[in-house]
Amino acid sequence: MGRFLGRPLWPIVCDFMMLSVCILFFHGCAVTRDFLERLPILGQRPDSIEENYFLADEADDVIGRLVAIRLKNGDTLPDIARHFSLGINAVSAANPEVDVWVPQAGESIVLPLSFILPEVRRNGIVINLAAMRLFYFKKKGDLQAVSTFPVGVGTEERPTPMGRMYITRKKLRPTWYVPASIATDHRKKGDPLPDKVPPGPLNPLGEYALYLSKSGYLVHGTNKPASIGLRATNGCIRLYPEDIKRLYDTTPRNTPVKIVNQPYLVGRRDGMIYLEAHAPDELSGTEALKKAYAILKKNEKQTGHAVDWIKVKKVVAETRGVPVAVSAMAPGGNTAVTETIRVRHPANLYGQPQVPEFRIDAWYVLAADYRDKVDARRLAAIINHQGPQIPARVLSIGDRHRVLAGPFNNKGEAKAAEKRMQIDLEIDGIVVPPVEQGIAKSDK
Amino acid sequence: MKKGLLMVSMMLVLAFAAGGCATKSDLKEVQAREMAISTKADQAAQDAQAAKAAADEALMKANEAAARAEAAEKRAEERERIAAEKERIADEKAKQAEAIFKKSMKK
Repeated sequence: MGRFLGRPLWPIVCDFMMLSVCILFFHGCAVTRDFLERLPILGQRPDSIEENYFLADEADDVIGRLVAIRLKNGDTLPDIARHFSLGINAVSAANPEVDVWVPQAGESIVLPLSFILPEVRRNGIVINLAAMRLFYFKKKGDLQAVSTFPVGVGTEERPTPMGRMYITRKKLRPTWYVPASIATDHRKKGDPLPDKVPPGPLNPLGEYALYLSKSGYLVHGTNKPASIGLRATNGCIRLYPEDIKRLYDTTPRNTPVKIVNQPYLVGRRDGMIYLEAHAPDELSGTEALKKAYAILKKNEKQTGHAVDWIKVKKVVAETRGVPVAVSAMAPGGNTAVTETIRVRHPANLYGQPQVPEFRIDAWYVLAADYRDKVDARRLAAIINHQGPQIPARVLSIGDRHRVLAGPFNNKGEAKAAEKRMQIDLEIDGIVVPPVEQGIAKSDK
Repeated sequence: MKKGLLMVSMMLVLAFAAGGCATKSDLKEVQAREMAISTKADQAAQDAQAAKAAADEALMKANEAAARAEAAEKRAEERERIAAEKERIADEKAKQAEAIFKKSMKK
């Protein structure tokens, strides 16, 4: 046996191992797990995963992979969604039991970064309203290059129109000419809008716009990133600021655009049949489901693989918006694509609202006073995700949890925020002057 | 005549004496039997009383246990109801917050 500094080696090794175990134990399970996760023998977890760009065989209808991530304290589903270029609808549907604004730290959620391509000719831009997802198809040799981004779409009252269109023009830093109907709505709620809104943080079009051949409809950015994945527009298609830039840079004029509404998607990959179900609207749901069943039967016949109809029923009922294999895999198929990848939680979430620390020289607006901390955290998160952001934080003392919006430099800013919260969130806030009046910058 | 009467009397006396002895022992026997029966009866009555008392006590204990179980069940049901109500209120608050948020995201 070896020796080290004159001492037998084996006892030294044993001492070292005991010490390591003690250190790991006292540092707790999270560190131990993190330590173990880094050991190559237990498998590497990727820091990032493909979210927007995919190369696929022409014959494949399914792209991407399902991903899992463990949440950290302070996460919200909209922040996670944005970081991974998903809409809030997609993350919420895939994880129906998870609180959108105050999820549990340590909880593992599914990121639905796998998609069945819509049943249309794969040319140019295709937007599936039911999935709230945009696909941009380009040929790359024998393969199809697919860029995909989450979108926000029109409300029930002002829906996004379906059909074939094309991009007529593009505009960097567009001006928003306020439609009369929207001007009326805003006037009624005490928020009169000017005739036009110039580029800037108050412009709902964001920094980039692609104008469609259907007059009055655009594909544009947004000053409300948390609205991506919601039916919140007046008919236009909204994208995250970082996504519209990428689309703008790569989409020429006259690119065809097809807008469809396909809540049930059937596709094949490696001979396996997949089904993806989104919540249908009342009018078209039944027809769409019939069509999906017909496609499943056709695929079953063509592939010779039996469809699990009980699983189909379950997928349709749950509407999680995730491709689920409903048949067996063809012999020699790639089983890796059916497995969920676990990724590390990023050190920072892209676009997550930053909230400054409390300042005694700043103005605040008291938005609410709760006994329940979860209620307070939820409201603070909602205020933080307004567009433009209104910073807000929970101040907890004893069993009272106050939601304070701010800090603001002066009374005018505080009053403006108070008004926005009243109009958009129906909150009757109370303006709170600085603790130390003398240091306040101004008091207009 | 006198002799005859005396004979009859003596015979009668003998008969009574013999009979009396028989009657006395019978009587004692009867009394003893009666006493035994009486004692037995008393014992039986006491036993029956004790059994009844025990049965009454057991019934009372059973009733008390049932009442306690029922009270515990009611408390558990009440706790469940309160928990379900709290969850319903929490869900309701989350839905209301979500509805207001979605409205705020419109242009």
